Amino acid sequence: MTSIEVAALTKEYGSTRAVDGITFTVAPGRVTGFLGPNGAGKSTTMRLVLGLDRPTSGTATIGGRTYASLTDPLRQVGALLDAQNAHASRTGRNHLRALAVSNGLAPGRVDEVLEETGLTSAAKRRIKTYSLGMRQRLGIAAALLGDPPVIMLDEPSNGLDPEGIIWIRELLRRLAREGRTVLVSSHLMNETASFADHLVVLGRGRLLADTPMRAFLDAHSHARVRVRSAEQTRLRQALIQQGYVAEFDEDGKLTVEDAKAEDIGALAAREGVPILELADETASLEQAYLALTAQDAEFAAAPSRP
Amino acid sequence: MTTTAVLHSEWIKIRSVRASWGSLLSVLIAALAITLLAFPLIGQAEADNPDYDAIFSAFYAINFAQIAAICFGATAFSSEYAHGALRVSLAAVPNRALFYGAKTAVIGAAALLLGMITSFVTFLVGQAFMGEYAIGLGDEGALSACVGAGIYLALMALFASGLTALLRSGVAVLSLLIPFILIVGFVIGDMSAGVAEYLPDRAGQVILHSDPTGSLGPWTGLGVTALWAAGSVGAGWWAVRRRDA
Repeated sequence: MTSIEVAALTKEYGSTRAVDGITFTVAPGRVTGFLGPNGAGKSTTMRLVLGLDRPTSGTATIGGRTYASLTDPLRQVGALLDAQNAHASRTGRNHLRALAVSNGLAPGRVDEVLEETGLTSAAKRRIKTYSLGMRQRLGIAAALLGDPPVIMLDEPSNGLDPEGIIWIRELLRRLAREGRTVLVSSHLMNETASFADHLVVLGRGRLLADTPMRAFLDAHSHARVRVRSAEQTRLRQALIQQGYVAEFDEDGKLTVEDAKAEDIGALAAREGVPILELADETASLEQAYLALTAQDAEFAAAPSRP
Repeated sequence: MTTTAVLHSEWIKIRSVRASWGSLLSVLIAALAITLLAFPLIGQAEADNPDYDAIFSAFYAINFAQIAAICFGATAFSSEYAHGALRVSLAAVPNRALFYGAKTAVIGAAALLLGMITSFVTFLVGQAFMGEYAIGLGDEGALSACVGAGIYLALMALFASGLTALLRSGVAVLSLLIPFILIVGFVIGDMSAGVAEYLPDRAGQVILHSDPTGSLGPWTGLGVTALWAAGSVGAGWWAVRRRDA
């Protein structure tokens, strides 16, 4: 199958280095989440892969070939960069027709992808009448048009309603199950956690991580237990005596750092404190991501704000 | 990827944006409307003037059609710069030479077809109102003026489309070219000496005169306009090839 290979890729705009010598491979059969704050270089990397921008140095290839050398590229790579990238006076259907015709795709594909993205009823309306969510769906329809083995989507859940977000999540999972290479950028951690198997994280144009999701969570988070008991204050005293760091959270539960539920349960039993609730807290991608970016000194000094 | 497929795709793009399709049709509509307004009213009134030029007068409406042709050339290309549509287009056709060549060819061919229809229709409809002063296609210079006017309209459309690719804005090109055409056409008027002769519209319109006075002949004049158009299309290509999308 086809991978996306990025090697020592660098792009400078004037004196700004948007992408700074990054190397990674996006493998088929899984969803790769592409993370990083706004301006980290995710969109630039995608444009470089598509040959829209030219790299200052390094290469970006698909299955070993540059994008520009692909015959009928829509059959190889489907991309959504920005849902706004379509002439607003065209109808959704004509937008897709012009794309399909250029790559010699069967005219029936246009109606198929409109159906698949739920746009059939809006197909003959001008794109300017579309909501942001509908434009996203149209962009995804364009990406799926050539039934490509490689799919690259930049912030596809932007503007989608809750049903749309569930739809895109299931679509991405299905595309990966079918053995396709799926790269999806996002700055929403919980959203990415719901569909990604693998992560590529950028910060200020540099590669911060390229690991499976599970490994990423394990590496950048630590064990933590939440506990609610009949006698919280006494339990906290006991925990502190044992050397644990235990603090009340806003719900009145105790959060115990670097602990496992079995140890805390045993300790409470020895103390005779009735336990009402006890659980290992699974690390969230958000926490792991923030832990990673905090390691990056300049990040900590100048955190990016939304 | 075949050239035919890309040409077809570019044709769909022109057809499916109202501004470009509408301005293409306006080439004919503007010329016909002006001819139908002007000729029944004042067509014969001017014909007795000593410096009356039967052929140039017959193509009076081309002044208006050329503005539509410029609008067509500009909007047909500027649709790629609205909303970042160019990125989607180049993702589908990453071969920029093929993309630019096909788009330019479709713009040129569409403008040439409409331009030819416009010039012949303008001539024949206008002359129908000229009574005893009417000239026919058989009269000296008339047929070449009809063919020349059609080519001229196509060249002006290409001139505008190349500039649009260079400046990446249809609005910039229209606000540059239309006042330029109006000033040269109506303010400088018949002053046909010096550099003004070589301006794209002045040079190309030599073929519409029955007795050209300047240094340019009918076809060399059109050749000068073709050089302007080629220069503009070439500059547009330089920009499309070189720039990040």
